[in-house]
Amino acid sequence: MSEVVTLTIDGREVAVPRGTTIFDAARLHGIPIPTLCHQQNQTPVGVCRVCVVDVSARVYAAACIRECDEGMTVKTGGDGVQRARATLVELLMSDHPSPCLRQQQSGDCELETLAASLGVAEPRFPRRLSPRGRDDSSLAIAVDHEACILCDRCVRGCDEVKKNMVIGRTGKGGATGVAFDLGDPMGASTCVSCGECMVSCPTGALTNKRIVATELGGGDRVEVEELLDLPVFKGVSGTFLSLNQTAVVKRHYKAGDIVCREGEYGSTAFYILDGTVDVFISTPIKHVQQQGASDGWFSRIRSRLAGRSEDVRAGEDARRWIPIDAPVDLPYDDPIAQLGPGDLFGEMTCMSYHPRSATVRAATDGTMLEMLRNVLDVLQKNKTFRARLEETYRQRALENHLRSVPVLAGLPRDFVDYLRDRVELVRFSPGQVICRQGEAADAFYLVRLGFVKVSEAHPGGDLVLAYIPRGGYFGEIGLLGGGVRTATCTALDHVEVVRIGGEEFGAMVEHFPGVRAELERVAVERREQNRARAAATDAVVVGDFLAQGLMEAQSLLVLDLERCTRCDQCVRACADAHDGVTRLVREGLRFDKYLVATSCRQCRDPLCMVGCPVGSIRRRNSLEVIIEDWCVGCGLCASNCPYGNISLHSFAVKEADPDHHGRTIATTRKKATGCDLCMDQAEPSCVYACPHDAAHRVEPLTFFGSRLGLAVPGTAGRAGTGG
Amino acid sequence: MRIDGTHRRWALGSAAAFVAAALVYAVGAAGTVGPWSGGSALGLTFGVAGFALMVFAGLLAARRKVPIWRIGRAQSWMRGHLWLGLLSLPLIFFHAGFAFGGPLTRALMWLLIIVVASGLVGAALQHVLPRVMLDRLPMETIYEQIPHVRAQLVSEADGVVAAACGAISGDLATIVRIDADPAAPLRDFYLNEMRPFLESPDAPHRLADPAYGAQATGRLRTVLPETFHQAIADLENLCAEERQLSREQRLHRVLHGWLLVHVPLSFALLALAVIHIVMALRY
Repeated sequence: MSEVVTLTIDGREVAVPRGTTIFDAARLHGIPIPTLCHQQNQTPVGVCRVCVVDVSARVYAAACIRECDEGMTVKTGGDGVQRARATLVELLMSDHPSPCLRQQQSGDCELETLAASLGVAEPRFPRRLSPRGRDDSSLAIAVDHEACILCDRCVRGCDEVKKNMVIGRTGKGGATGVAFDLGDPMGASTCVSCGECMVSCPTGALTNKRIVATELGGGDRVEVEELLDLPVFKGVSGTFLSLNQTAVVKRHYKAGDIVCREGEYGSTAFYILDGTVDVFISTPIKHVQQQGASDGWFSRIRSRLAGRSEDVRAGEDARRWIPIDAPVDLPYDDPIAQLGPGDLFGEMTCMSYHPRSATVRAATDGTMLEMLRNVLDVLQKNKTFRARLEETYRQRALENHLRSVPVLAGLPRDFVDYLRDRVELVRFSPGQVICRQGEAADAFYLVRLGFVKVSEAHPGGDLVLAYIPRGGYFGEIGLLGGGVRTATCTALDHVEVVRIGGEEFGAMVEHFPGVRAELERVAVERREQNRARAAATDAVVVGDFLAQGLMEAQSLLVLDLERCTRCDQCVRACADAHDGVTRLVREGLRFDKYLVATSCRQCRDPLCMVGCPVGSIRRRNSLEVIIEDWCVGCGLCASNCPYGNISLHSFAVKEADPDHHGRTIATTRKKATGCDLCMDQAEPSCVYACPHDAAHRVEPLTFFGSRLGLAVPGTAGRAGTGG
Repeated sequence: MRIDGTHRRWALGSAAAFVAAALVYAVGAAGTVGPWSGGSALGLTFGVAGFALMVFAGLLAARRKVPIWRIGRAQSWMRGHLWLGLLSLPLIFFHAGFAFGGPLTRALMWLLIIVVASGLVGAALQHVLPRVMLDRLPMETIYEQIPHVRAQLVSEADGVVAAACGAISGDLATIVRIDADPAAPLRDFYLNEMRPFLESPDAPHRLADPAYGAQATGRLRTVLPETFHQAIADLENLCAEERQLSREQRLHRVLHGWLLVHVPLSFALLALAVIHIVMALRY
């Protein structure tokens, strides 16, 4: 058989190697054939049929897959072929959201361009009735299934070109579409955001996401080649980097320069290329304390800052480490640590827009890469980078992390070394379930990044048991109990957990009875608290009570409006007790004849705790929400509180004068404060000072029980956490 | 303060003290030859006791200045103020033997009567008005915030009218112009009637009367097309809120207005009582 075949295309005789497709033969000889599903670097599949040509056979042939035959006569144009193409394009256009995102952004949607060239205006065919939807979960790529023409170019780009094997087809007939992994949202799939699918897509179905502030100001622009030369970017798609070149910059720092400050909001993460930085909390590690009333008659009391050595509050966490948004925790007594080349910090700020948890100052001259979340997201999914990050964590942070958990603080070094290579770092996207109630318990988890919501399924809906911040742990109840998960744990934002497998956990509790006893004690405590909370919730089905969120409260400040003469003594007393800044406002929702004043409700579902960058706001085992001494005053808890019950308390501090070395200047800082129930007194000041017996601090179910017609639980409402 | 069953102990204690004092006075007065003298041992005892109760009642003001001092719950002080302050009146009467005496003591007696009476009025108001406010002020706000809320109402009403009419300012409605500008009656009503009402609520205004308000908006509904009806309903709500703010202001003033009489006269009473004591003991 001859190696070369000769054929005629549009009247021109051409010779091509055997096996060449008509499309390639025409292309080699400068004869254009339109196509949508075919790309030179991919295996042809002939699904769009737009490249049909007349080969003098019974039906038109798809040029991209039909091989040339000896003596074949091909007509790439002509009325019949053009009509067939126009009809195919018209059918595709009938489902296409014209102009699609790509057409809007760059005007080069291949389908719409082809439709225009073929004179296809408004399709005659009706649109599909059921929308196919969009997927906005990826940080780098926008997916619009409406604009997808099922050409499979993305599938082949992902599978053949990049060998990532993430994209495939799903569904049948009219429900056919492309899917990521097993139908996951793109952001939750194993997609590494290499961008190959995006550059392969002929329409606006897969487009580069132009996220807010995609351009970083200042710093040195880094060329793609330079980035790819860095070990940390090894394996990252050059296509992606060139599309997101402005989302990563190189910054040089001199010793003493501040990289970021605690409490500030930001959207970037930093990767240290060279040099070292100090990470520390500059806000005094103290809490706002009101001095007693012994200053003298009629003098206004003053608040001051008091540390644990001067004033240990009931329920104070004996924690020795402060969790921050970096690979290290800060020791409580001397909250400073150093990071060096290869360390990444600011992940939570970048991924979840949490405030900065610590101040970072260059200790030596150095260079860092500052990146936006689309770049960080790609890095996080990059195997090389992940391996490097995990290795750093295992070597430098795991031991601290384990020791920061009080129940595990006593583990001997041998066992930590045993765990070092056995634990697994696992990431979860917002909303992703980490473990589900009723499933077999197979692991114990320590939260390294983000917040985990623990909830329990009840007939009326899910009951939130706890929010676990960085430094917390969960999963021990299932492992120590019947081997079944008792609650569902879900990632609230971008979460990373340290997974200790059931086998290692079993070894730990077997070899260290002290750890076992402590874990069991905590598990029993949590179970009791959860049971009490569930009992309290099950009892109430009253609309208004629930609608006003009163069910969520564990302690309410209510004013009996039949008694209250609006004299404001309660507000005055609160202000007097808290340095002239009241923590209650005599306004709020009404329930029955009571005004529920704006003052901390000690919620069962304390949303204020979600997002605290240093985990300083937490719930005591008894009842109250406590703000620990290492609060950095970012104010996130205040904005998270749905009832406006947390305020920021200003206080004076002396800081180093940046303009004059060795001198200090007076400035103000803030710490979050909420109603502290005047814990140092027998009764809250507002209640004590009410002359009309109108103000009451009450446990809502007990207080309103008779009005709601409920069987009042005797001891409902003790706070706690879940596991 | 609401006077209810929780006052039983204070009420019974005060009544018992009153009865005991009355018996002592009756026995003492019967055994006295000649007119009753406040300077007698018994009279002096009544005077000291009465003055002590007056001082205690007056200390409530000081107690309120230091609300967080743990020197007894504020409500106990208030109950004491109410019942012991009331008890001071008969004790002082027993001290004086029901005689008003000279100019100073006469002034003192009248002051005491007025202070106690104003206190009783205040107690009655505090007993009744909070419940009235609960019923009649479903959207009650903090009293000091009322001017701010009013400003918000004006701004909100401006927004409603601007959204409905295109602009707040414009030509006034005439029969000719209504055809050309269907929004004119609404704008006319707002600028001439409602806005002055919202801006100067203390001045007498027809819209303060809900019946008049309903009539006025009813008229608007008949002359304006249906597209304006939502705006009219919004303006009605804003008027109703303004009326409620005015009502709250009135009730609040009544609830606290009696203190303008009670407090200064109480201080005057105590000051005169001290003068009386000094003069009585010295001369």
